[in-house]
Amino acid sequence: MLTVSPSTQDRELAAAIVRFTRRSSRRYKRSRTSWADRFVDAYSWGLGIGVSLTIAASFVLALRNEIADRASTTTSIIHAQWLVLPEAVLWTSVTFAVLLVISNLARKLGPMTVNGPESSWWLTLPVDRRPMVLPPFLRKVALTAAGSAIIYLPFSLVTTVDRAPSDHLLASLSFSAAGTIAVALAAMQQLRLLGHRVGRVASAAVLLACSTVPALSSSFWPTALVGIAAVGLLALVVPRAGQVRGEELVRGGAVAGHAGASLFMLDSNEVLRALGGGRKTVDGGRAARFYARPAHGPLRALIRADVVAFLRLNPPLTPPLLWLAACIAILLVEGGLPEFAQLAVIVIAGCATASGLGSVARKTALVPELDALLPLHPALVRTSRTLMPCLAMAVWMAVLSSLLLVLGAADPWLIAVGAIAGVGMGAGTLRAATRTPPDWTAPPVETPFGPVPRAQLGSLMRGLDVTILAMIPLLVALYLGYVPLLVVMVQAVFSVGIFLVVVLTRPKRS
Amino acid sequence: MGTVLEAEGLLVGYAGAPVCGEVTASVDAGEVLGIVGVNGAGKSTVARTIAGRQASLAGDVKVHGLLIDPDAVPFRRQVSAVFDDDLFFPSLTVREHLLLIARGHSLDDPEGRVEEELEFFGLLGRSHAIPDALSSGQRRRLLLAAGLIRPSSLLILDEPEQRLDPRMRVALGERISEHAKDGGAVVLVTHDPQLLLATASTCLVIDDEVQQFDPEQGASIIAGS
Repeated sequence: MLTVSPSTQDRELAAAIVRFTRRSSRRYKRSRTSWADRFVDAYSWGLGIGVSLTIAASFVLALRNEIADRASTTTSIIHAQWLVLPEAVLWTSVTFAVLLVISNLARKLGPMTVNGPESSWWLTLPVDRRPMVLPPFLRKVALTAAGSAIIYLPFSLVTTVDRAPSDHLLASLSFSAAGTIAVALAAMQQLRLLGHRVGRVASAAVLLACSTVPALSSSFWPTALVGIAAVGLLALVVPRAGQVRGEELVRGGAVAGHAGASLFMLDSNEVLRALGGGRKTVDGGRAARFYARPAHGPLRALIRADVVAFLRLNPPLTPPLLWLAACIAILLVEGGLPEFAQLAVIVIAGCATASGLGSVARKTALVPELDALLPLHPALVRTSRTLMPCLAMAVWMAVLSSLLLVLGAADPWLIAVGAIAGVGMGAGTLRAATRTPPDWTAPPVETPFGPVPRAQLGSLMRGLDVTILAMIPLLVALYLGYVPLLVVMVQAVFSVGIFLVVVLTRPKRS
Repeated sequence: MGTVLEAEGLLVGYAGAPVCGEVTASVDAGEVLGIVGVNGAGKSTVARTIAGRQASLAGDVKVHGLLIDPDAVPFRRQVSAVFDDDLFFPSLTVREHLLLIARGHSLDDPEGRVEEELEFFGLLGRSHAIPDALSSGQRRRLLLAAGLIRPSSLLILDEPEQRLDPRMRVALGERISEHAKDGGAVVLVTHDPQLLLATASTCLVIDDEVQQFDPEQGASIIAGS
């Protein structure tokens, strides 16, 4: 094969091309934007960020105080804490999980990328690609490092109330360096310096080691060590930035562009579609064998197709299992968390797991004509589409409830309540899949609490609303510590009602 | 004049499934290989594979005797490919797009060459427009100008006649012939019998079995007779 041997002249020419493109773009943009517009943009962004930070800071401080006072007031939704999980283990596990998320996201989004026009107009030029690829990559690394430090600081404040301010700062810096290492490891996989499997295992091992460092913030040296490791890995990656294959740069750019645009539009369905696009779907031939069996009638044929689609899209098992583990870990942690925090984690875990099971609904929602392919009432089509998510969520909730039962959260009826709640939560995935983009032009509605952007909130919360609603009776039972018959009946009414509302309501089309 | 492109037992397709028969062909310097076939036959897939934009299922493609590698600088220097990618920098003008290519290929007097191409493709009056302000035909001309402004020993064109007016099609045919006369090799995917007859030296008909014909037979096949 032809090989690449970039010369200095090539590199200078590539840098000149990049400068030329950026300078021309900036000139054009400046000619289109007035100073007044720029001031309004800066003011809006500044105000938005300031308000968000203030709300976040007050929330963090309130939570910190709550946790600091918990020794005297702690109550838990479980009664049998037969295993006490040391706090340090829990928070280190959370740190590790977040580092894994950063690493996986970095790999999905490149981390080295070019966008559509750059792939057409830059990658075809006979020059070294490093000046084209490196600056955006370094920006990503810097943003990840800064974001990691900013995210970890409140986490450190909440989880270790007895730390000195300088220790919190060191812990944040350690996590920032660990985030940088996660991105650098993703870049090494993209450069094929690490093979696919080896890369994943090595990344997990390195990040596991890194996740313990923020806990050692009483000394400066662990932070310095992890910082040096981050710089060392970047020193390996940066000189090779121009060697990433063109198809990899284009793939990463496409995913990053899709996900970025979806985030900007606050369209969570599109974000999930963007991030789930490149996943390998392996069903080992089971789905094909099931599909080949004869089916009588259009409804059975459709149900079979939806079941096969669900199996083929192969929802990964790891996230639901990790969410189960998170629910249990939060209950077993040393000292215990406030009840509302425990229930909140269960709600978040339920919503996240339900959201992961909506792949088929999200994909079919893109092509509404699919629903009209067979001579069936639209409600039956929606029933067929929601069966597998309902079944899967019923199983997940039954497992969670069984674990809670073992921990003495309530009586055995909790399993039935959990399974029934799962049906309603599964139906929520179909409702979420047909979420329309928010109409930002709709005016807010006046309420006794002030103006509320009801149309936008309704659009953003579509699907999530019924998923949370379906969990309310279960949460009441957990709060009470036993399952009154009334709760079982209300749960059944909620879940059946939600299921019927979802399948009988014609989805909105944007 | 030597062989520029060699395809040996080339099988193209998606997800492991071939879309047409095996392609075996070679193009010498100064030759124009026409590729024709019905819609969906796999013409563009063959062209994309030759250009290194997608991996082949089997077989080899060589340019100047070396296996293709779209990431290699020498390959990018030798091969110019124009597909129907409607991707442009949103805030770069027509002139700036062409200037980027001219400078990237280290042309002497890039500004002068850009002026020539703008004039040839009838874009002088729109040279300060951004792509969004162009018609689809003008955007197509811009893509063709970008493919032809730069030197190349192998030019790959995927249905270049699309969205062009008849006069521009004739001018494009002359330009392709000129490229071949200057020693370049051309792979031309087309549905236009006149463009094929005006330019091609040989013709591949893409189907379940890929066959080589002379351009007259290829033009008849396109015309459906």
